[in-house]
Amino acid sequence: MKAKNMRFILMCMVLFLNIIFTQKMVHQYFYENYKNALIYCALNLVIFPAALFLYKYDVKKLKGADRG
Amino acid sequence: MEKNNRFPFEEDNYTHNINRNNERKLDRRGFMKTLAGAAGVFAVSSLPWGALAAKELMGLGEKEYPHQKITDIAAIPIGDSVEFAFPGEHDSALLIRLGENKFVAYQNACTHLRCPVYWVKAEGEIICPCHHGKFDVKTGEPTAGPPRRPLPEIIVKVEKGAVYAVKVKRYEG
Ligand code: FES
Repeated sequence: MKAKNMRFILMCMVLFLNIIFTQKMVHQYFYENYKNALIYCALNLVIFPAALFLYKYDVKKLKGADRG
Repeated sequence: MEKNNRFPFEEDNYTHNINRNNERKLDRRGFMKTLAGAAGVFAVSSLPWGALAAKELMGLGEKEYPHQKITDIAAIPIGDSVEFAFPGEHDSALLIRLGENKFVAYQNACTHLRCPVYWVKAEGEIICPCHHGKFDVKTGEPTAGPPRRPLPEIIVKVEKGAVYAVKVKRYEG
Protein backbone atom coordinates (compact mmCIF):
# COMPACT_ATOMS: atom_id res chain seq x y z
CA MET A 1 0.00 0.00 0.00
CA LYS A 2 1.19 3.48 -0.75
CA ALA A 3 2.65 5.35 2.20
CA LYS A 4 0.37 8.24 1.38
CA ASN A 5 -2.73 6.17 1.92
CA MET A 6 -1.18 4.70 5.03
CA ARG A 7 -0.95 8.15 6.57
CA PHE A 8 -4.51 8.83 5.63
CA ILE A 9 -5.69 5.66 7.33
CA LEU A 10 -3.58 6.47 10.36
CA MET A 11 -5.30 9.82 10.62
CA CYS A 12 -8.68 8.12 10.54
CA MET A 13 -7.45 5.82 13.30
CA VAL A 14 -6.62 8.88 15.36
CA LEU A 15 -10.17 10.08 15.17
CA PHE A 16 -11.45 6.62 15.98
CA LEU A 17 -9.20 6.32 19.03
CA ASN A 18 -10.19 9.81 20.15
CA ILE A 19 -13.81 8.79 20.18
CA ILE A 20 -13.13 5.55 22.04
CA PHE A 21 -10.89 7.14 24.65
CA THR A 22 -13.34 9.95 25.32
CA GLN A 23 -16.20 7.53 25.72
CA LYS A 24 -14.16 5.30 28.02
CA MET A 25 -12.93 8.24 30.05
CA VAL A 26 -16.41 9.55 30.73
CA HIS A 27 -17.72 6.12 31.62
CA GLN A 28 -14.82 5.30 33.91
CA TYR A 29 -15.36 8.64 35.61
CA PHE A 30 -18.97 7.87 36.37
CA TYR A 31 -18.10 4.34 37.46
CA GLU A 32 -15.77 6.08 39.94
CA ASN A 33 -12.66 4.37 38.58
CA TYR A 34 -10.81 7.64 38.63
CA LYS A 35 -7.45 6.10 37.87
CA ASN A 36 -8.73 4.62 34.62
CA ALA A 37 -10.41 7.91 33.77
CA LEU A 38 -7.05 9.64 34.16
CA ILE A 39 -5.34 7.08 31.95
CA TYR A 40 -7.83 7.61 29.15
CA CYS A 41 -7.53 11.36 29.57
CA ALA A 42 -3.75 11.10 29.17
CA LEU A 43 -4.16 8.93 26.08
CA ASN A 44 -6.46 11.53 24.58
CA LEU A 45 -3.88 14.21 25.29
CA VAL A 46 -0.97 12.24 23.85
CA ILE A 47 -2.80 11.52 20.65
CA PHE A 48 -3.06 15.20 19.73
CA PRO A 49 0.66 15.93 19.22
CA ALA A 50 0.86 12.65 17.35
CA ALA A 51 -1.90 13.76 14.99
CA LEU A 52 -0.29 17.14 14.54
CA PHE A 53 3.02 15.52 13.71
CA LEU A 54 1.34 13.19 11.30
CA TYR A 55 -0.33 16.08 9.52
CA LYS A 56 2.85 18.11 9.26
CA TYR A 57 4.76 15.10 8.06
CA ASP A 58 2.12 14.44 5.45
CA VAL A 59 2.27 18.00 4.15
CA LYS A 60 6.04 17.81 3.92
CA LYS A 61 6.00 14.52 2.06
CA LEU A 62 3.47 15.74 -0.44
CA LYS A 63 5.27 18.98 -1.18
CA GLY A 64 6.32 18.97 -4.81
CA ALA A 65 4.65 15.68 -5.47
CA ASP A 66 1.22 15.69 -7.01
CA ARG A 67 -1.47 16.36 -4.48
CA GLY A 68 -4.51 14.27 -4.41
CA MET B 1 -23.45 38.83 -17.08
CA GLU B 2 -25.05 39.18 -20.41
CA LYS B 3 -26.85 35.96 -20.01
CA ASN B 4 -28.20 36.65 -16.55
CA ASN B 5 -29.44 40.13 -17.04
CA ARG B 6 -33.00 39.06 -17.26
CA PHE B 7 -35.17 38.31 -14.31
CA PRO B 8 -35.69 35.67 -13.14
CA PHE B 9 -32.39 34.04 -13.80
CA GLU B 10 -32.44 31.08 -16.00
CA GLU B 11 -30.02 29.26 -13.81
CA ASP B 12 -31.66 26.99 -11.34
CA ASN B 13 -28.72 25.84 -9.30
CA TYR B 14 -28.93 28.64 -6.72
CA THR B 15 -25.18 28.80 -6.52
CA HIS B 16 -24.46 31.39 -9.18
CA ASN B 17 -23.33 33.82 -6.52
CA ILE B 18 -20.67 31.57 -5.08
CA ASN B 19 -17.42 32.59 -6.60
CA ARG B 20 -14.70 31.32 -4.37
CA ASN B 21 -12.53 28.73 -5.89
CA ASN B 22 -13.05 25.22 -4.65
CA GLU B 23 -15.50 26.46 -2.07
CA ARG B 24 -17.31 23.19 -1.92
CA LYS B 25 -14.38 20.93 -2.14
CA LEU B 26 -12.92 19.07 0.79
CA ASP B 27 -9.66 17.75 -0.46
CA ARG B 28 -7.37 15.24 1.15
CA ARG B 29 -5.26 17.82 2.91
CA GLY B 30 -8.28 19.70 4.19
CA PHE B 31 -9.60 16.49 5.63
CA MET B 32 -6.31 15.67 7.33
CA LYS B 33 -6.22 19.16 8.76
CA THR B 34 -9.74 18.82 10.11
CA LEU B 35 -8.88 15.55 11.82
CA ALA B 36 -5.78 17.01 13.41
CA GLY B 37 -7.90 19.90 14.66
CA ALA B 38 -10.50 17.47 15.96
CA ALA B 39 -7.79 15.65 17.89
CA GLY B 40 -6.93 18.99 19.48
CA VAL B 41 -10.54 19.60 20.43
CA PHE B 42 -10.77 16.13 21.94
CA ALA B 43 -7.58 16.72 23.90
CA VAL B 44 -8.71 20.05 25.29
CA SER B 45 -12.18 18.83 26.15
CA SER B 46 -10.84 15.84 28.06
CA LEU B 47 -8.81 18.10 30.32
CA PRO B 48 -11.64 18.98 32.72
CA TRP B 49 -12.51 15.29 33.12
CA GLY B 50 -8.91 14.54 33.93
CA ALA B 51 -8.82 17.38 36.42
CA LEU B 52 -12.00 16.21 38.12
CA ALA B 53 -10.75 12.63 38.29
CA ALA B 54 -7.43 13.77 39.73
CA LYS B 55 -9.19 15.88 42.33
CA GLU B 56 -11.37 12.95 43.25
CA LEU B 57 -8.32 10.72 43.56
CA MET B 58 -6.31 13.09 45.66
CA GLY B 59 -8.48 13.48 48.68
CA LEU B 60 -11.97 14.57 48.14
CA GLY B 61 -12.55 11.08 46.77
CA GLU B 62 -12.83 8.86 49.80
CA LYS B 63 -15.43 10.61 51.82
CA GLU B 64 -14.59 9.70 55.38
CA TYR B 65 -17.05 11.24 57.74
CA PRO B 66 -16.14 11.61 61.36
CA HIS B 67 -17.16 8.46 63.18
CA GLN B 68 -20.49 9.03 64.72
CA LYS B 69 -21.88 7.34 67.76
CA ILE B 70 -25.21 5.70 67.10
CA THR B 71 -26.14 4.09 70.37
CA ASP B 72 -24.83 2.23 73.38
CA ILE B 73 -24.92 -1.52 73.02
CA ALA B 74 -26.75 -1.81 76.31
CA ALA B 75 -29.58 0.31 74.95
CA ILE B 76 -30.43 -1.97 72.05
CA PRO B 77 -31.55 -5.57 72.65
CA ILE B 78 -30.79 -8.28 70.12
CA GLY B 79 -33.32 -8.16 67.29
CA ASP B 80 -34.18 -4.52 67.78
CA SER B 81 -33.39 -1.51 65.69
CA VAL B 82 -32.69 2.16 66.18
CA GLU B 83 -32.95 5.03 63.78
CA PHE B 84 -30.19 7.51 63.34
CA ALA B 85 -28.93 9.98 60.76
CA PHE B 86 -25.76 9.47 58.80
CA PRO B 87 -23.77 11.01 57.17
CA GLY B 88 -25.88 14.17 57.08
CA GLU B 89 -28.54 15.07 59.55
CA HIS B 90 -31.23 14.43 56.95
CA ASP B 91 -29.92 11.06 55.77
CA SER B 92 -31.90 8.89 58.07
CA ALA B 93 -30.62 5.41 58.61
CA LEU B 94 -31.42 2.23 60.44
CA LEU B 95 -29.24 0.17 62.76
CA ILE B 96 -30.29 -3.39 63.46
CA ARG B 97 -28.76 -5.66 66.05
CA LEU B 98 -28.81 -9.19 64.69
CA GLY B 99 -26.73 -10.97 67.28
CA GLU B 100 -24.55 -10.57 70.31
CA ASN B 101 -21.96 -8.72 68.31
CA LYS B 102 -23.58 -8.47 64.94
CA PHE B 103 -24.84 -5.13 63.73
CA VAL B 104 -25.96 -4.00 60.31
CA ALA B 105 -26.94 -0.52 59.22
CA TYR B 106 -28.52 0.85 56.08
CA GLN B 107 -29.67 4.19 54.89
CA ASN B 108 -33.35 3.70 55.22
CA ALA B 109 -34.65 5.44 52.13
CA CYS B 110 -36.22 2.74 49.98
CA THR B 111 -34.42 2.37 46.67
CA HIS B 112 -37.74 2.44 44.87
CA LEU B 113 -39.19 5.84 45.70
CA ARG B 114 -37.37 6.73 48.88
CA CYS B 115 -40.01 5.92 51.43
CA PRO B 116 -38.54 5.17 54.84
CA VAL B 117 -38.16 1.43 55.41
CA TYR B 118 -38.75 -0.38 58.70
CA TRP B 119 -37.25 -3.35 60.41
CA VAL B 120 -40.00 -5.85 61.16
CA LYS B 121 -38.67 -8.12 63.84
CA ALA B 122 -41.40 -10.73 63.61
CA GLU B 123 -40.73 -11.37 59.92
CA GLY B 124 -37.00 -10.83 60.03
CA GLU B 125 -37.15 -8.49 57.07
CA ILE B 126 -36.81 -4.84 56.25
CA ILE B 127 -40.09 -3.68 54.84
CA CYS B 128 -41.12 -0.66 52.86
CA PRO B 129 -44.74 0.23 53.57
CA CYS B 130 -45.29 2.24 50.42
CA HIS B 131 -45.41 -0.56 47.83
CA HIS B 132 -44.54 -3.57 49.96
CA GLY B 133 -40.91 -3.68 49.03
CA LYS B 134 -38.79 -6.06 51.09
CA PHE B 135 -35.07 -6.17 51.74
CA ASP B 136 -32.80 -8.86 53.04
CA VAL B 137 -31.57 -7.78 56.44
CA LYS B 138 -28.09 -9.28 56.08
CA THR B 139 -27.17 -7.77 52.74
CA GLY B 140 -29.70 -5.05 52.01
CA GLU B 141 -30.59 -6.75 48.73
CA PRO B 142 -34.19 -6.33 47.62
CA THR B 143 -36.14 -9.57 47.95
CA ALA B 144 -39.65 -8.56 46.96
CA GLY B 145 -41.65 -5.71 45.53
CA PRO B 146 -40.61 -2.90 43.22
CA PRO B 147 -37.11 -2.04 44.52
CA ARG B 148 -34.30 -3.29 42.29
CA ARG B 149 -31.19 -1.95 44.02
CA PRO B 150 -29.88 -2.80 47.47
CA LEU B 151 -30.11 -0.35 50.33
CA PRO B 152 -26.87 1.60 50.77
CA GLU B 153 -25.00 -0.09 53.59
CA ILE B 154 -23.36 1.85 56.36
CA ILE B 155 -20.25 0.31 57.80
CA VAL B 156 -20.38 0.26 61.59
CA LYS B 157 -17.81 -0.35 64.25
CA VAL B 158 -18.27 -1.55 67.81
CA GLU B 159 -16.06 0.18 70.30
CA LYS B 160 -16.13 0.50 74.07
CA GLY B 161 -19.70 -0.62 74.46
CA ALA B 162 -21.08 1.64 71.75
CA VAL B 163 -21.79 1.40 68.04
CA TYR B 164 -20.28 3.90 65.63
CA ALA B 165 -21.09 4.66 62.02
CA VAL B 166 -17.91 4.77 59.96
CA LYS B 167 -18.84 5.35 56.35
CA VAL B 168 -21.29 4.61 53.60
CA LYS B 169 -20.33 1.73 51.42
CA ARG B 170 -19.96 2.58 47.78
CA TYR B 171 -22.62 1.29 45.50
CA GLU B 172 -21.21 -1.17 43.01
CA GLY B 173 -23.69 -1.66 40.23
S1 FES C 1 -41.04 3.25 47.85
FE1 FES C 1 -40.47 1.41 48.78
S2 FES C 1 -41.50 -0.05 47.58
FE2 FES C 1 -42.02 1.80 46.57
